[in-house]
Amino acid sequence: MILSIAIKEWKLILKEKGAFFWLLLMPIGFIVLFGSVFGSIGKTTVTVPYIDLAGTAESQAFIKAVGERGGYKLEPKEAGALDEQITRIRDGKQSVLLVVREGFGRGLSGAPDGKSTVELYSDASSELTGPLNSVLENLANEYREAKIGSALQAAGVAETERSRLMESPLVIEEKPQNATNANAITQVVPGYTVMFVFFVIISMIRRFIGDKTAGITARLQTTRMTPVSYLLGIWLAYLGVAIVQCAALLSFGHFAYGLELGDAVATAVLVLMLAICGTGLGLAICMLVRSENQGMAFTQLLTMGGAVLGGLWFPIEFMPRALQTVARFVPQYWAQKGFQDIMIRGAHLSGIWPSLAALAAFAAAGILVALFRYKGFMKSALSG
Amino acid sequence: MGNAIEIEGLAKSYGDKTALRDIGFAVREGSCFGLLGPNGAGKSTTMKILSGLLEPDSGRVRVLGLDLKREHARIREQIGYVPQGIALYEKLSAADNLTFFGEMSGVRGKELKSRIAEVLEQVGLADRAKDQVESFSGGMKRRINIAAALLHRPKLIILDEPTVGIDPQSRNHIFEMIRGMKRDGVTVLYSTHYMEEVEALCDDLAIIDSGRVIAHGGLNEILDRFGTSAVYLELAAGQQPPELPGLGEIRPKDRGWTVETAKPLEVLSAWAEACRRQQLTVKQLEIVRPSLETVFLSLTGTTLRDD
Repeated sequence: MILSIAIKEWKLILKEKGAFFWLLLMPIGFIVLFGSVFGSIGKTTVTVPYIDLAGTAESQAFIKAVGERGGYKLEPKEAGALDEQITRIRDGKQSVLLVVREGFGRGLSGAPDGKSTVELYSDASSELTGPLNSVLENLANEYREAKIGSALQAAGVAETERSRLMESPLVIEEKPQNATNANAITQVVPGYTVMFVFFVIISMIRRFIGDKTAGITARLQTTRMTPVSYLLGIWLAYLGVAIVQCAALLSFGHFAYGLELGDAVATAVLVLMLAICGTGLGLAICMLVRSENQGMAFTQLLTMGGAVLGGLWFPIEFMPRALQTVARFVPQYWAQKGFQDIMIRGAHLSGIWPSLAALAAFAAAGILVALFRYKGFMKSALSG
Repeated sequence: MGNAIEIEGLAKSYGDKTALRDIGFAVREGSCFGLLGPNGAGKSTTMKILSGLLEPDSGRVRVLGLDLKREHARIREQIGYVPQGIALYEKLSAADNLTFFGEMSGVRGKELKSRIAEVLEQVGLADRAKDQVESFSGGMKRRINIAAALLHRPKLIILDEPTVGIDPQSRNHIFEMIRGMKRDGVTVLYSTHYMEEVEALCDDLAIIDSGRVIAHGGLNEILDRFGTSAVYLELAAGQQPPELPGLGEIRPKDRGWTVETAKPLEVLSAWAEACRRQQLTVKQLEIVRPSLETVFLSLTGTTLRDD
């Protein structure tokens, strides 16, 4: 009986185009959109307009160095366009302008009367100003080191001693601890997979409320079907849907964006537990609400609120400390953490047990509420 | 033959609203029993109690020789319930709906396939088996709604107003199905507010109004006991019927007039003689058999339907 109900449900889902949109096309659309936006920030070439008023070999070498260090495309402007360029920045039409002043080059090699000036005009709200300023300061430091080196050489300091003096007392060694680099894809793909698993609740609500209002729930009560078979049959159907949905979205991330899925067993168990959790909470909502609209409101609260708090849209570290604590009370946090533990930190089954336990606890709570409310749901279906 | 249904002292309330009070009647095995009454009379509540969907507040109900309260599970295996609304999955085909409801009724495999073919033939929709139910007319949906309750060969079929708002072709199909069920020995409990349906299909009936059974028994028995004969007269256009002093009140009906009377032959003779004397053109003059409509009117003082 349970399987018959599940098979009927799968037939219905295959006939409903809306379910495909909610459960597959929309999350894939989100992954493509946000994966493209956030995943290509480091690859995009930013254009920096400049005016070279010096026109010397040194000024051209400096501009070339700015382009190479920052990965910028430098775009020359005419000297007469200075006022117009500044106006454009003030009007918000342009972010920055680099101006190499007349006389650039003098003093770079240590001449006592020489001073080279570079002006950086910028829009205060531009995200570009900070990184460009860092590049310029790094170059200024290098010129300063070159100047000190020249002075030491002139003072007759030997090369080995000069090198020792010029060395920084601070040594920074990068030691990455993750199996895979965290990037936009390791955030977006599991994030939207977790988020949209909870959208399966919308289809569950439509079925339970739809059957109730159409009199199907009551009719089934006159057959040999037991009430619990009805609950389990629909649950089994949507559990299957959630698992297929997760598999499809993670596979899409793997094949389209090269997402490393990590330990297959750990991923499979986490997907299963996430599906049980999402559908278990779905059952609870279905049994609690009196109408489809009320169910939609509950679902939006759970999916959207959980997505924000659970760090599905952006890394949880971006949130205030208090909200990071609150996040532990939403299932999405544990699912996302579990996926990222597997994908980024190379965790196996033993490494994600806190996530599995938390998801199991949410699932158990949902199923208990559903069972507790089921009698009332059936009663309202029969009296309609 | 025994009784398929026996009801005694059945009562049901929804909050402070009484739906049924002291209902009692019996349905003979293999008969078609009509439950006749206006909307809100208590027909659906009675049927839902018999189907096990509602629990009565009090009363004793035996269905197919089994106690409804204690042996509900065994009763469910032997009854087919057709709800008043279309309780089907509109997005699924007729065959898929029947497969699902058949499996829920405990029929499986080859037997289910052959039963689906049989009932589709029975409801005249064998050629539409693969079509989605949402593409069907209201009458076709009603036929599939009934078919879904027949797959497990129930001994008792409960039909709650199965012909509401359907076309004549579907109504005829449903009537033929019910006659076929009767021929196969299936007991049919049929609720309706259409008196002509009860007259056309049912052997026995109970008239129910405001939660009470106001008359029950065989159709002829009820008509004889509560019905009044009438004489109907129709004249040429523009002519008025002769008065019948002391023989009854003349009331307009359809395109003529009628007089309800216990002495129909006397009224007929008097009217015929008066028409001959006044040289009126008689188009129709006949004794009209008592109908359930007149029975209901005489018992409740109201008509059964507003339309």
